[in-house]
Amino acid sequence: MEEVVWERLRDADIPVLPMSQASTAAEAVNAAKVLGYPVVMKILSPDISHKSDVGGVVLDLGSDVEVDEAFHSMMKRVKSQVPDASIEGVVLQKMAEPGLEVIVGAKLDPQFGHVIMFGLGGIFVEICRDVSFRVTPVDREMARQMIFEIKGSPILRGARGRTAVDMEAIIDVITGLSRMLEKYPGIVELDINPLVVYPSGAFAVDARILAD
Amino acid sequence: MTLKSIFEPNSIAVVGASASPGKWGNTILKNLLDGGFKGKVYPVNPREKEILGQTCYPSVLDIPEQVDLAVISVPSSLVFAVTEECGKKGIKGIIMITAGFSETGDEGRQLEDKLIEIVERYGMRLMGPNTLGVVNSKIGMNASIISRLPDPGGISFITQSGTLGLALADWTMEMGLGLHIVVSTGNKANIDDVDLLEYLDEDPDTNVIAMYVEGVNRGREFINVAKRISKPILAVKAGRTESGSKAVFSHTGSLAGSDEVYSAAFKQAGIIRVEDIDDLFDSALALSVQPAPKGKRVGIISNGGGASIIASDACERMGLDIPELEPETRERIKELVSGFASARNPVDTAGLAAYDVYNGIVSQMLLDPNIDAMIVIYVHTVMWDASIPARAIVDIHRGKCTKPVIACWMGGAGTEKGVDILKEGGLPNYPVPERAVKALASLVQHHGFIEKVKEGV
Repeated sequence: MEEVVWERLRDADIPVLPMSQASTAAEAVNAAKVLGYPVVMKILSPDISHKSDVGGVVLDLGSDVEVDEAFHSMMKRVKSQVPDASIEGVVLQKMAEPGLEVIVGAKLDPQFGHVIMFGLGGIFVEICRDVSFRVTPVDREMARQMIFEIKGSPILRGARGRTAVDMEAIIDVITGLSRMLEKYPGIVELDINPLVVYPSGAFAVDARILAD
Repeated sequence: MTLKSIFEPNSIAVVGASASPGKWGNTILKNLLDGGFKGKVYPVNPREKEILGQTCYPSVLDIPEQVDLAVISVPSSLVFAVTEECGKKGIKGIIMITAGFSETGDEGRQLEDKLIEIVERYGMRLMGPNTLGVVNSKIGMNASIISRLPDPGGISFITQSGTLGLALADWTMEMGLGLHIVVSTGNKANIDDVDLLEYLDEDPDTNVIAMYVEGVNRGREFINVAKRISKPILAVKAGRTESGSKAVFSHTGSLAGSDEVYSAAFKQAGIIRVEDIDDLFDSALALSVQPAPKGKRVGIISNGGGASIIASDACERMGLDIPELEPETRERIKELVSGFASARNPVDTAGLAAYDVYNGIVSQMLLDPNIDAMIVIYVHTVMWDASIPARAIVDIHRGKCTKPVIACWMGGAGTEKGVDILKEGGLPNYPVPERAVKALASLVQHHGFIEKVKEGV
């Protein structure tokens, strides 16, 4: 599952954080060195979709030793929590620089086909449900409207002394996702959560996909 | 236009016509005869010789002349046979009142498939099944169980719920709202919303389309067709509070409930989504008789301060602006009213409702370049005759005004004569400011769609 979603995102020209896979602690350390510290480690298992719920995500690993220790303790923890899960190893990702977290997602609606959702990340999406939707295909102008439509959009434009984030980068992601959905009609649900947006550029930091 | 046989037939067979009052086959025949339909109406029932003074035929095949439309209300066991006969007779359109099809489950769905197979084999079009009928007020056709024919008007109404549709049609008659086509879609087995929108778009007598929607079948086509239509389309969507899927695979999955998706789809299609039934017909009325405003800057006048404050607040909530007037406009208003009055927008006449005051102030405000639309409020008191300010604004409005004017005659008893004058003068009138503002907001929204969403307008 993990592999497919990143492949689809790259294929749609949606920027993703550099990452690599490792099946042993030694491989993990090597991969982390290549990526550059700090890194994030996530469990890689086709049977686990909510990784953090089973202790399958560790943030901010700063050295070879920390990566080595994290690998062993994660294996132990996840196996005890979900004994039946088949575990392929871990994914190491370069730790994202702090930026503004937004969510871009898609769902297959029985009446209208694919719809795309946009919202601010974290509590804005979970508690305030401050999100906007469009039925695909979504062009740049529609994507721009989606961004301006949410109540929190002043935050993106740099409210209260914050620097404005790269709107065009978000629009690229939304329109890229729209093209991806046209190409893969079997996608049932997809979340890019978070997409971290900077004054220049954006990266998909985590993503999930459910396809037929 | 393949739906002409349904909406504009020259001759109608009522299959399953009944002599017993209270039966649907009796009500429909009676409604067709009472409505003043100019074409021929043929009752069909093998057990009767004559119903309501009309010669009754055993089968449509026994009718000597050509028949365009069959309204069928027979027991479900006879549906296939009579539909087959309609096909053989060369009938082009069917309104299938009979229920017991896909709305009842899988078995019913199979029956519906079989029905549609017959309809398609003969190249017919079918409304329903499980519809409560079709009305075309212009040709006096009440092929429905609605109690009487609505007044003719520019609003056409598509309703998915049969019974609610009937109640609504009755209610619009109480309001004195003119309707052109009323159609209860039923199960939409052959004719669906997309077909109906296409028909009503080309229909010269429809200028506003109002819809009560529970769900649409062909979502993408629905958006694309609605987007091409420049006539205002208003919709109430039932099931607003229904939440998204409970499955928690993704945030998007749990947040993109059917209602959110409908809102997005309507927005993309340029369909004005209104909250409830009052809004639907209030907005339809304004859209059917008033021009589109160029912007969202509203001028308000009232003879009582409270009502204009309520209206201003409602404007703000609905995203409409209450701009300052030009200094010259304020000067001219001051010449018309006493020192106690406010010559600022919203204008308060401090109780005055004389002809010259309403006529003069509203004229000046309409000429002001800062104003795109007017809400004229009159709060009834025993000191005034409600028909005088009504006459004052109808006289301005008649013929020359390109900015919309919405009236709000408050006070109920005693305002009737004024309300009639407003109606005859083509000014939409509402009993409370909030409803007037919502209707105006729909006008503004439609104009916004025309500029942004609608293609080829």
